[in-house]
Amino acid sequence: MFGKKRVAIVGAGLTLFRRRLKETGKELSYEASKMALDAAGMELRDMQSVVLGTAPDAFDGVHMKGEYLADGAGAYRKPYTRVFVGGGTGVFTPLAGWWHVASGQFDSCLVVAEEKMSSCYPHPQYAFTTIFDPILERPLGMNLIWIFALEMHRYMHKHGIKKEDIARVSVKNKGNALDHPCAQLGAKITVEDVLNSEVMAWPVQRLDVSPTSDGGAALVLVSEDVAKEITDDPVWIDGAGWCIDSTLWTNRDLYYPDYVECAARMAYKMAGIKNPPKEIDLAEPYDPFDYKELHHMEGLLLCKKGEAPKLTAEGVTQRDGDLPINPSGGLLGVGNPIAAAGLMKVCEIFWQLRGEAGKRQIPGDPRTGLAQAWGDLMQYGSVIVLRR
Amino acid sequence: MSLDKITNPLHIRHWLGDMEADYIYTLGIAGEHFFKEIKENGRIMGAKCPRCNVVIVPPRMYCEKCFAKLEEWVDVGTKGTIHTFTVATIDVDGKKLKEPVIFALVKFERGCGGLIHKIGETKTKEVKIGMNVEAVFKPSFERKASINDIKYFKPTE
Ligand SMILES: [Zn+2]
Repeated sequence: MFGKKRVAIVGAGLTLFRRRLKETGKELSYEASKMALDAAGMELRDMQSVVLGTAPDAFDGVHMKGEYLADGAGAYRKPYTRVFVGGGTGVFTPLAGWWHVASGQFDSCLVVAEEKMSSCYPHPQYAFTTIFDPILERPLGMNLIWIFALEMHRYMHKHGIKKEDIARVSVKNKGNALDHPCAQLGAKITVEDVLNSEVMAWPVQRLDVSPTSDGGAALVLVSEDVAKEITDDPVWIDGAGWCIDSTLWTNRDLYYPDYVECAARMAYKMAGIKNPPKEIDLAEPYDPFDYKELHHMEGLLLCKKGEAPKLTAEGVTQRDGDLPINPSGGLLGVGNPIAAAGLMKVCEIFWQLRGEAGKRQIPGDPRTGLAQAWGDLMQYGSVIVLRR
Repeated sequence: MSLDKITNPLHIRHWLGDMEADYIYTLGIAGEHFFKEIKENGRIMGAKCPRCNVVIVPPRMYCEKCFAKLEEWVDVGTKGTIHTFTVATIDVDGKKLKEPVIFALVKFERGCGGLIHKIGETKTKEVKIGMNVEAVFKPSFERKASINDIKYFKPTE
């Protein structure tokens, strides 16, 4: 197809996700990269190119963060680039790695995502206050949580969704994360716990939100020829999609993420997927807030508009349900070091498709999985489809 | 309940640093027109795209859909409806605000797009999606060509 080469993932690595880790950003990048290379049975010298994903420079507090992290990501004297599309970065980074190899330019690419949010003192929320339009929005004293509250409220209003319908996502994901060795916030909680947690900006409450975090993740990507030499269990990148909507987010309805649908359709077309709910065995949609899992399931065409809360209530999205959603525990449970969190989702699909997810392994014989991330000021969608 | 144990970074081995820099932003071509009208005439303007036949609020110098250059300014009035809103109760530090603040996305009948702003002269329990609201401006001598020249939007009914 268009002379594209098929690209395989042959190794994945993930660090602990914690509020504050002792390791520097460079060291986190190294740990994840080394783990992915070891898992693939490869050495740094086998990597012909490196792609790094990381979010705003303001988190680590180093301008030119791409260069700062380069050696930890294994880029010494290699073709190297840093990509950044806000919260969408974690899934966009392997897409950038994919085109490095699919183009035929390289036979291998080390894909690394890092975030050390705790360097931003006293709280990484301060770095978020400067993402708004400096003239129209910042003088109002905007806070990141508030704009998600506006979106969540619009989504609830449009479909008549109650808070308890949404809280079930937080309960499920924090519960799933109890089985994840890297998780920051695995917990057994109830819908009541979510509904009784502190109101931050109605309708957003404390337990609707994922925690800020430090962490790193990495993948080893190789061409089909190399994959056949080194492994019997390659996982193929069969779908790639990305899209940005209007950055004037006041010009959108907010109840539905059109840009996610656009990215998903691009990925499905490439993967030959006609009926997503039937053909996708599990998915890791981006869940920095509980309502976002539902919002994104709909944007990914995994169900009808407004139907995701019902599927959640019926248990369809549990690990043993018909369509497991965020079996890793997601950002709500594992944690949200922005770029690393997105790549953690791709790692999870990789492990699930290889039957290597341990206690988190979903039943059956999953063959097709999807990961998605979302970012910037609520307008960027990145989607990857993996197949065994 | 708190699930996240936040440790004081000053209690661990650390290095304090900063990335200090101040910025001066220009309002831009369309922004200058928008804020001049707010300051001098208490009017909210949009920019008309002749190709897409829509009025974009706040105005821009170009249409992002068709890339036409926009040069026709349209007064969209000071009345709109609440498309969605939030009631903010804590600040960026996680501290309780003295008074909850209502933030809303206000859309205008004559324009596509809208403005984010505060809602005033009402109670948090009375605000609803779909409510009609109107801009309340500061007195003209206090206006500085800023989005805060609009104090807030208030319900009209
Ligand atoms: Zn146009």
